Amino acid sequence: MTAISIQNLTKVYPIPFRRERIIAVRNLSLDVEPGQVYGLLGPNGSGKSTTMKIVLGLVSPSAGTTRIFGRDSHEVESREEVGFLPENPYFYKFLTGQETLDFYGKICGIRGAKLRERTAELLALVGLEQARDRRLAGYSKGMLQRIGLAQALIQQPRLLVLDEPTAGVDPAGSREIRDLILDFKKRGITVLLCSHLLSQVQEICDRIGILHKGVLVREGRLEDLISIENQTEIILENATPELLAQVNALLTNSGARILAERKPQTTLEDFFLEVTSSKN
Amino acid sequence: MDPAHPEHIFFSPARIRAIAGNTLLELVRLKVFYFLLIFGFLLIGLGAVTPEFNFQEQFQLLKDVSLGAMSIFTWLLAVLATAMLLPKDIEDRTLYTILAKPIPRFEYLLGKLLGVLLLILISTLVMSAVFAIALYGRQQLAISETIRTSAGASADQIQDAIRDIRASTFTYSLIAAVVIIYVKAALFAALTLFISTFASSWIFTIIVTFACYFIGSLQGIAREVWLGSVSTGPLPRIFLAIIALIFPDLQLFNLVDDIVAGNSISMLLFGKTVALGGLYTCIYFLVAYFVFTGKEL
Repeated sequence: MTAISIQNLTKVYPIPFRRERIIAVRNLSLDVEPGQVYGLLGPNGSGKSTTMKIVLGLVSPSAGTTRIFGRDSHEVESREEVGFLPENPYFYKFLTGQETLDFYGKICGIRGAKLRERTAELLALVGLEQARDRRLAGYSKGMLQRIGLAQALIQQPRLLVLDEPTAGVDPAGSREIRDLILDFKKRGITVLLCSHLLSQVQEICDRIGILHKGVLVREGRLEDLISIENQTEIILENATPELLAQVNALLTNSGARILAERKPQTTLEDFFLEVTSSKN
Repeated sequence: MDPAHPEHIFFSPARIRAIAGNTLLELVRLKVFYFLLIFGFLLIGLGAVTPEFNFQEQFQLLKDVSLGAMSIFTWLLAVLATAMLLPKDIEDRTLYTILAKPIPRFEYLLGKLLGVLLLILISTLVMSAVFAIALYGRQQLAISETIRTSAGASADQIQDAIRDIRASTFTYSLIAAVVIIYVKAALFAALTLFISTFASSWIFTIIVTFACYFIGSLQGIAREVWLGSVSTGPLPRIFLAIIALIFPDLQLFNLVDDIVAGNSISMLLFGKTVALGGLYTCIYFLVAYFVFTGKEL
């Protein structure tokens, strides 16, 4: 059974008082398998958020169906299996971290000792044990994202829908959230991820779909989509100039062409984190 | 049961209680109860300006001001507190995180309304208690004053005077007045919730609710004037019938004025007024639910 099944999905928004209409999503079909981290990419206005909202039952489709683990996502019961973190979420600022998780737990039907255990476990998981009694009004952006992830996980869903989970978060916080998503993947939780941080998507997603103007223009395994078939990358360590000269000569004689020769580089994110963590 | 699919409860009072409790907590932490201090100061101030009145006049004034202030405060609280609930949840996207959980929209909306009704109930009870304490204080003052000034009067005459004082302070009608004030506020909380399901902002919601208040208050007069005229055609009659159906006749809730004036009201009239308020509250809530169910978030 697929975690998410979207079949021939179309969403049309009529413009009030005008005869025009906007087609947000056009005949979209895709499947997300259990345990996958699926990246839904696309520029602003491409239909990503609309697709997510339809999957979550917040918006009705104009045509087509969406199913979560076999259940029509329009049915309230399907949400037993889903946790959702919207982009830039503002939770109730008057609640503390603990109260926030208690509230979301109660609306999922969890109470008593089970709820206490679950909230303690999640606060530990997202590293907010020290801030459990602090009101959310005093949380940083990264802390809000982490409490958001915790509330999304409260009823132990098999599917997580994350809309820009690292938007506005500093590199260290972003890395922490990325690591949490990788941890969810290890636990077998399916993740549908929308993000503009393509480097992060590349690091964590198994499969991606690219939406453009409501149409799915590319879809498939990440490795298949981004590898360049007629090129090969060889990274050497401790190669002497003589050896490199020999390799170059061999390649030239064989008819292959060297397109670039450079020192491998770390990512700016890794460099930044290395510098800032050593200062601490 | 399929272990992969947890059992889902279609209607859960526990979920509604969680939403209602959270709504109440939100309003309490927004410090909306501060207005109760204004009510307290009002009653204390009233004591300072009325010493030259006789006790009957003092009781009358105290009842008039207290019940009038309670009516205004509960009404304002109902409208202002409810108007911001839905728009704030939508604007902050908190609503997405809630409705993405296995909770039906009906339960969410009912929880929100019950939270406000609970807040109004607590406020009404606190104001009633403050009012009762103030009234009791005046009563005791009046009794001791009567005893002091009745030197030479027989014990029966003093007892009669005390009985008169007691009869003119606390009556069962006062409880009826407080209930009617609460029911009217509850009705407006439901109406405001309904308007907020389609309004574009909380300011718009408040303006429309105020407009509804005036229509509801004036429709009784309009009906008397138009229907009293023989020349009134069928169109105005249909128009009035529609208005009467959509908006409750708020003049019916003016029973509170009769109670303050010392007139007794029948249980039947009281029951009818409360039932009408309850009916409109339910109707507005159900219409709000139907609009909210179809709302694209």
